[in-house]
Amino acid sequence: MKTLPQAISAEREPPSKTRRRIASSYRTEIAIAIAIVVIELAVGMIVPAALSVGNLANVTQAAAPLAIMSFGVLLVIITGGIDLSVGSVFSLTGMVTGLAMAHGCGALVSSLAGLGIGLLVGAVNGALVTFVGLAPFVVTLSTYAIAGSLSFIVTDGHSLPISDPNYWLLNSGTIVPGIPNYALWCVLLLLSIELGLNKLVAGRWLYAVGSSSSSARAIGIPVNRIRLCAYLLSGLLASFAGILSISYISNAEATAGSSLMLQAIAAVVIGGASLFGGTGSAIGALLGALMITIIQNGANLIGVNSFWQGTVTGIVILIAVLVDRVTKARR
Amino acid sequence: MSEYLLSARSIEKRFGPTTVLRGFDLSVARGEVHAFLGGNGAGKSTFIKIVSGQHQRDNGAIEFEGRPVGTSITADVDPGAIAVVNQELALLPHLSVAENIALPRLRHGARTYSERIARAMATDALSLIDPQFAHESVDRLVGDLTLHERQLVEIARALSSGAKLLLLDEPTANLTAAETARLFSVVRRLIAETGLAVLFVSHRMREIRQVADVCTIIRDGKTAVDRAKLTSISDRDIVESMGQFMTTDGPAKDSTQRASHPSASRAVASTGAGVPLLSLRRADVRLDVYPGTIVGLAGAPAGPASLIDALAGLAAPGEWELLRAGKPLHYASTSAAARDGVGFISGDRADRGILHSLPIVDNLSAAERVVRGRYFARRAEAAHGAQLLETLNIRAGSLWDLPATLSGGTQQKLLVARWLMLNPTLLVLDEPTRGVDIRTKREIYGLVRRLAERGCAVVWWSTEYVELVELCDVVLAFDPNGQPTKVLEHADIDESTLADATGMAA
Repeated sequence: MKTLPQAISAEREPPSKTRRRIASSYRTEIAIAIAIVVIELAVGMIVPAALSVGNLANVTQAAAPLAIMSFGVLLVIITGGIDLSVGSVFSLTGMVTGLAMAHGCGALVSSLAGLGIGLLVGAVNGALVTFVGLAPFVVTLSTYAIAGSLSFIVTDGHSLPISDPNYWLLNSGTIVPGIPNYALWCVLLLLSIELGLNKLVAGRWLYAVGSSSSSARAIGIPVNRIRLCAYLLSGLLASFAGILSISYISNAEATAGSSLMLQAIAAVVIGGASLFGGTGSAIGALLGALMITIIQNGANLIGVNSFWQGTVTGIVILIAVLVDRVTKARR
Repeated sequence: MSEYLLSARSIEKRFGPTTVLRGFDLSVARGEVHAFLGGNGAGKSTFIKIVSGQHQRDNGAIEFEGRPVGTSITADVDPGAIAVVNQELALLPHLSVAENIALPRLRHGARTYSERIARAMATDALSLIDPQFAHESVDRLVGDLTLHERQLVEIARALSSGAKLLLLDEPTANLTAAETARLFSVVRRLIAETGLAVLFVSHRMREIRQVADVCTIIRDGKTAVDRAKLTSISDRDIVESMGQFMTTDGPAKDSTQRASHPSASRAVASTGAGVPLLSLRRADVRLDVYPGTIVGLAGAPAGPASLIDALAGLAAPGEWELLRAGKPLHYASTSAAARDGVGFISGDRADRGILHSLPIVDNLSAAERVVRGRYFARRAEAAHGAQLLETLNIRAGSLWDLPATLSGGTQQKLLVARWLMLNPTLLVLDEPTRGVDIRTKREIYGLVRRLAERGCAVVWWSTEYVELVELCDVVLAFDPNGQPTKVLEHADIDESTLADATGMAA
């Protein structure tokens, strides 16, 4: 057998082929990006204000927490699991962070306390799914209910103002000139997750576990550890999204994340992931989150009754999944 | 140091009430191709799984490279040193061929994954088998490959993992003759270069003759032939050593029974009066089946399986031209077939027979409910079921127990019982005695004969030639590529003509 370097040198190929491979492996994502632009332009033709810089900034700012939450859900969905607890983790994190601040803790300590909630719920989810072998749907449905009710219990249902006057900078300030922080976090997380999924062995393991956990185990992949990590990261990212959200609105509310769980799963699915596991990308999840946000934003601007927004979102999810199914079947 | 690479002594293994291995011995020397032969249910796969670490043995000793190995093989042997290629492939369908081959060798999750190196590894490994295929396939998803392409990937992966002992469990079942030849030339080369040893399970006599040096034959969980040189053992010896109840067990080939039953049916068949119950046509093979005839199907799975699926309504007839009482047969579903009087009994109890989560009574009534279009459970079903259990001598705690409380053989009898009272006109049997003990086999033979005597035509696929010899009036033989080759008539059916016509040892 050839040694590795020999094999690699024998394996040189023209760069154009690599480029084509990238284009074909991101086919779904490119299609969603085009769809987003088309929808936004269509809204802009009806309500020109939709295309103003101010509105576009609003849309991205609103999409940021959802996108970050979707990244976490994506990791779990790639392994073939599901995390329903993220919405409650989002709310509870906000409440705990606000409560810590109200008790005189600094912004940093309070934020860490909030992130601790995500890690804790993620650890419970992961441990019950991997080591006890319970179904992910049932486990995370339970933690969703528990964390959701705890977010009311900690303040007896009252919302909490954020006492630190500079906390908003976490979301809307700028570290890199010209780029608001919420966008910076999104881009950093997007890059690290997308690269981690593709350029780390552990990232490929994640897909392997979702593709066939028994095969993955048979070839020596640490299936349990990988699953546990996915749930931990999902909890952590949901907490981070919760912190970003309270820093933006300067207020922590027990119901803040209640609608986000389904939106996050929808974003991941619109982005091309399969709930059976083994597929999905962070770029897709980000685009899915953007898609959901611009549809809501557009509907608001056009003046569609807010009762109809769920119908519109549902139809978009179905179209995305159907288009994906048809194009994959044709290939 | 021991002269053998792998030496297993007195291996025993039980699954619940059934003993699969009862003191089995097998030794593999370095640098040999060792054929591992035996009938279905003799314990081949169980032994392979014990050596590859998927099962733990109950008793007996295993040495690998001269060192004793504990019950947990994976803990005591270097990962990759014993590589196994199963019939159930352990591949990752959503990942590329390159990743499937490279991932087992990447042990650290925190390291970077280079697609280029993975592709190089995969190209190297696959080039051992077929450079052309290697070049075309490294970037494709495994899920998009055909079954035999997947098998090539799996074999390449096993070869590239630095295996000292390669276990091939029917590696060529899905390969064409050319691919098989190439695979074995690769195996030969690796043996010469690295001293690899190969233990392979196959049923194809020609292939065994071509590639193997020695063979071990397992029968009923015990060693029947230990390390016989293939140059010194005849085909006949091999076939006979594999036979599961030729020697001592049970009333072998009860001549009175056999004579009394087929004569009746042959009378019907030979008069040829009227339209045949079923006609099978494909290319120049024609077979008309009259009431009471037991037709055997013999050969590699591909051929019999497609015919059986068509008859049972599981698939379209494809290349077959099938006539049922003179009219073209094409069932849209299994229930259409059942309503047309076709009973289907599979030996694949887990996936094609038993309803695991429903009690015995529902399992017994399942076919009746479909055939009679019944949507509500009736109280009469219980009385009926109890009666069936009694006639068939099935001992069950209660009709409301789950089938899992019964042994495999008894579950199989439940499946036969399901059709017994419906008077099917055609009974399609798909290896109905797979993994069933000898006594139950005899009982199932008796039940099927009784149905045949009542005028039911039977199509019986079996991979055990003794079974076909004993039961069948006519045997349709298939070659390893699934083409029907020959119709063997009553007098011509014996194990060596069957082995000849199918190219398979058993």
